[in-house]
Amino acid sequence: MRFKASIQNISIFTKLTASLNSLGNFAWVKLSDNQVCFTIIPEQGTQVWAVLSIDSIFEVYNIQSAANNVVNLEVPLASLTSALRSALQATSASIRLTKKDNIPLLALTIITTSSINPRGAISTTGSSQEEGAFGNGYEESAFGRERETIVTQEIPVKVLSADSVSGLHEPRCREPDVHIMLPPLAQIKGISDRFTKLASVGAKAGAGLTAANAPRSRLELSANMHGCLKLSIRTDAMNISSVWTGLTNPELDPSQVQGGEEGIAEHPSTRMKALGSADGRSDEGWATVRIDGRDWGKVMSVGRLGGRVIACFCHEHALILYVYLPNDNEGEDESVLTYYMSSYSA
Amino acid sequence: MSDLGVEEGPIFSAISASARQLFLLLRCIGFADKAQVQISEEGLRFSVEESSVMEGLCFLEKSLFTSYVYNSTSARPSTPISQDSDATGVDQPIFQISLPSLLETLQIFGLTDPNTNRPPWARDNHAAPSTAFSSNVLGMNHVCRLGYDASGSPLSVILEESSIKTTCELTTYEPAFATDIPFSRKDLALKIIMRASWLHDAITELASTSPTRLTLVARMQDGKPYFALSASGSLGSARVEFNNAKATTFALTATNTVQPDTSPSLLLETFQLADPTAKVVNSYKFDMIQKAARAMAVATKVSVRGDAQGVLSLQFMIEVEAGKVSFVDFRFVPFVFEEGDEGDEVDNAVVDDEVDPSEDDL
Repeated sequence: MRFKASIQNISIFTKLTASLNSLGNFAWVKLSDNQVCFTIIPEQGTQVWAVLSIDSIFEVYNIQSAANNVVNLEVPLASLTSALRSALQATSASIRLTKKDNIPLLALTIITTSSINPRGAISTTGSSQEEGAFGNGYEESAFGRERETIVTQEIPVKVLSADSVSGLHEPRCREPDVHIMLPPLAQIKGISDRFTKLASVGAKAGAGLTAANAPRSRLELSANMHGCLKLSIRTDAMNISSVWTGLTNPELDPSQVQGGEEGIAEHPSTRMKALGSADGRSDEGWATVRIDGRDWGKVMSVGRLGGRVIACFCHEHALILYVYLPNDNEGEDESVLTYYMSSYSA
Repeated sequence: MSDLGVEEGPIFSAISASARQLFLLLRCIGFADKAQVQISEEGLRFSVEESSVMEGLCFLEKSLFTSYVYNSTSARPSTPISQDSDATGVDQPIFQISLPSLLETLQIFGLTDPNTNRPPWARDNHAAPSTAFSSNVLGMNHVCRLGYDASGSPLSVILEESSIKTTCELTTYEPAFATDIPFSRKDLALKIIMRASWLHDAITELASTSPTRLTLVARMQDGKPYFALSASGSLGSARVEFNNAKATTFALTATNTVQPDTSPSLLLETFQLADPTAKVVNSYKFDMIQKAARAMAVATKVSVRGDAQGVLSLQFMIEVEAGKVSFVDFRFVPFVFEEGDEGDEVDNAVVDDEVDPSEDDL
């Protein structure tokens, strides 16, 4: 079993692991010939199934194993994130699977080059007397000397057998009623965090509870097929909602939908298109889910990756977010993170 | 405006060009859970109270709003209401709302455009490309509408920013207190006007000993005004004195006194005692006074007044924008204490010996 790769984009990789870490402590990482999968299945809350193309994070990539070149690992995300953070300034970094005292680990080798330029400290065009004594040394240092620092971070991991992960499947869900492109996540996060805070303020004022034992706030998230997204929360003291208008509802691709053109005609979202309006004032045509405010805030942290996000609403049932990572190479396989959230009942 | 106006005769609707201004003013009285709101022809009056011994009042004048419509349902002409007025028109809508919720709502502004510091090409805003006429450019980003449709309906706050519209409906509750703390402006014992930041500094300084009560002493000393704040608590006591270099005292009875040069070197801009030979000493609960700290920090000037009964009024002048001022008022009921022995306290045994030494200086 071998795995070795040089990391192409350290900052993206760090942001990815950091945002996954906010939802769970351990990730199931599946490395194969053409893709890397990160999966988070917490006890409670949001599941993440991320499928990344190799070159979105790695450059030179080498994987070998007896089981069709697939390696399954359980990786502690906090350690991986902090190791990657220390590599942010690195000139190059590589990662490989190794073993030490029979413990499998991921070794992250970070190479940092810093050039030392002594001219800053002592002038080379200094007085003639000193030049005689140190002349040669200065000649050499005029070009600057480079110092290479190599740091290796070791992250203990567990190797998972193919059997132990064979029972894990991506959640299946009915066809969504509404799909919509979300506005920048930082924007939504700003508002939803404020809402969550408002709910705790209201709860405290109403029942004399402290923030800790206040009931968990349920955000209500709705969207329609006319470019509107609504975020709302209801407390005893108030009832607040923010409405975005003018968002995009992407067209379905007939080749991706079961039944092709016919499938689209019978798709729930086609029916939803007939209802509601683009100014968000109509009460009809909304698909609504209720989610935990704090959980939503954690999911929104993926916004730092800065990709496009498409939200699929199954009314009163589930919310699925597809986060597409920015890709420099047009037309190549896109890396996508899928978030599954189930709706609480009212 | 239009969609609010269409509905049959909302009692009140107003548009503010700056939610930030409203927030800054209302935050000064943001120490209570509920605020009582009274809508009148002249503006919105927000009042909060604490244990019936302290009261905070913030008046949002009509002029703070770009549009202000109040449909008085009563036939009788409404009486003008000033910041100090105790008069409450019976027919004016009065209700309570959750003040922290309102403050949080007003802060939603600016949250939604985190990119404004960056040039347009560096923003990762896929949804709304800005044009020359978008609301950011026109400076319309902080427009906020307030509305109150009918008695019993929620107070609505609508904030609009580019493509996002936030609607907040604040539940209105029955008013819980009807009367203000009585303060007789005709029977003042003391009036001091000074820079609010100096009062803030003094209170912050005194707070370090976590005192329980604050004693205010004002008198004439060698023909000069003397004003001191002393605090005493279980950890000890401390005193801050404000001494004016020269006398600027005028008897309050002499109305329309020409004010002396208010040069910045003077700590106390105005110092007036009803009886210049007497000494004014009153004690207040320190925690209560400290609740006005936010107002002290943002205000430019404060008017410290005490009436014959010892009720303290702090009126803060806050500059909301250049040349435009608003006022925030606080009133405090003093500790009861007997004539002659200003050190003795009625409800706790701590002896305030801070006041006594100063007496020898007289």
